Amino acid sequence: MDGDVVLVIVVATALVFDFTNGFHDTANVVATSISTHALSPRVAVGMAALLNFAGAFISIQVAATIASDVVDAGAITPTVIFAGLVGAISWNLITWYFGLPSSSSHALIGGVVGAVIAAVGTAAVDGEGILGKVLIPAVLAPIVAFVIGALAIILAYRICGRLRPGPVTRGFRLGQVVSGGLLALAHGTNDAQKTMGVITLALIANGNLPDTGFDVPTWVIVSSASAIALGTYTGGWRIIRTMGTRIIKMDSAQGFSAQGAGAAVILASSHFGYPLSTTQVIAGGVMGAGAGKRVSAVRWGVAGNIVAAWFLTLPAAAAIGAVCYGFTSIFGDGAAGPVILSGLAILLGLTLFAQRIRRGQPVPTV
Amino acid sequence: MSVAGLISVAPATLVDGEALLDTAVASVVAGLFVTLTASLAIYGFATAAEMRRLDRGLAAVGAGALALVSTLAFAGAIVLGLAVMIDG
Repeated sequence: MDGDVVLVIVVATALVFDFTNGFHDTANVVATSISTHALSPRVAVGMAALLNFAGAFISIQVAATIASDVVDAGAITPTVIFAGLVGAISWNLITWYFGLPSSSSHALIGGVVGAVIAAVGTAAVDGEGILGKVLIPAVLAPIVAFVIGALAIILAYRICGRLRPGPVTRGFRLGQVVSGGLLALAHGTNDAQKTMGVITLALIANGNLPDTGFDVPTWVIVSSASAIALGTYTGGWRIIRTMGTRIIKMDSAQGFSAQGAGAAVILASSHFGYPLSTTQVIAGGVMGAGAGKRVSAVRWGVAGNIVAAWFLTLPAAAAIGAVCYGFTSIFGDGAAGPVILSGLAILLGLTLFAQRIRRGQPVPTV
Repeated sequence: MSVAGLISVAPATLVDGEALLDTAVASVVAGLFVTLTASLAIYGFATAAEMRRLDRGLAAVGAGALALVSTLAFAGAIVLGLAVMIDG
């Protein structure tokens, strides 16, 4: 009975994480289309929400990586996964409060790994899987997106640079409807699957699914897709209100190149099962499209933020995940620990949120 | 030795260099092909309109054909990419 209560808490926490992921990342997905006037804000947000939902259904390779190649599903319990989730959400809240760079995806993986180490030691952590499927792709993906974005904009300017600007702008804006749609689809594919993977891991740990083979139940896919789509839609309206002050200066060809680069990298990585920070990949594509036009146009501060996020997020989220597991274990193996920790986490989150809003500070991205 | 081979040898068997290289190559090819076809389609449509305005019928037809073929290639690339994703 206690196990089922913890499982319900884990599923709810994972879906909240998924919702906040969509809420937080909407800006990255729609900003380029809106800033080049390829799509109106309402259409961009609505389309992003729909395609995030659809994207969650087209692959389960990333979910398989999270459930099979990060930690040993047979050696852990739902409480461990819950502690990892709280670690990830806490780190996201802390970085949001202090304006530090962060990646929700890396926080999730770090939090789960930290809790697993605290619970059963390093033996249950798949070091090879984390290195080969998480760390190296995390470093490579934004670089590949940067290179594609830069080459793509050079190609686009070479072919269309001598034409009258009117038709070219209209053409690339039309192209952005497709590339922006692909980017939203890619975001839904990679990010919703991380939640699916965590929920599946919890179901295996609780004995609801066999630990041999890998199968994501349909209700997990539908609920994860719904949570990220709802988060995207809700976050989108907030973005629309602030878009006027956070506008990105780029032309429609750059917007198309950046979105195409981001979508290509995320979709290809999803196909091969690599869980990426979609925000970092999109930032890589945008910087590449900027550098292809003029190297000085690159906001190197953003690149520095990405590097800082690589070094900070995984260990910090792991440490918090470990502390969270330590705290829940004080109350034994039952549901008491997760219930108390949930209450404290909600209280802390609301306090930070209220303080941040009162100060009127912007919400950081990356 | 191939690039994939070098990646594989560096951290012994820890990293699947071939899969990483496949991902990078697939990303670059897809991203650049989509940009190339979209750019050629825009070039074709814009040039065809310009040629029609200048009463150069043959050039307009040629540019229109380029636009049509490029648009089909662009759409085909998107459909193929999605089909590969869905097939898993």
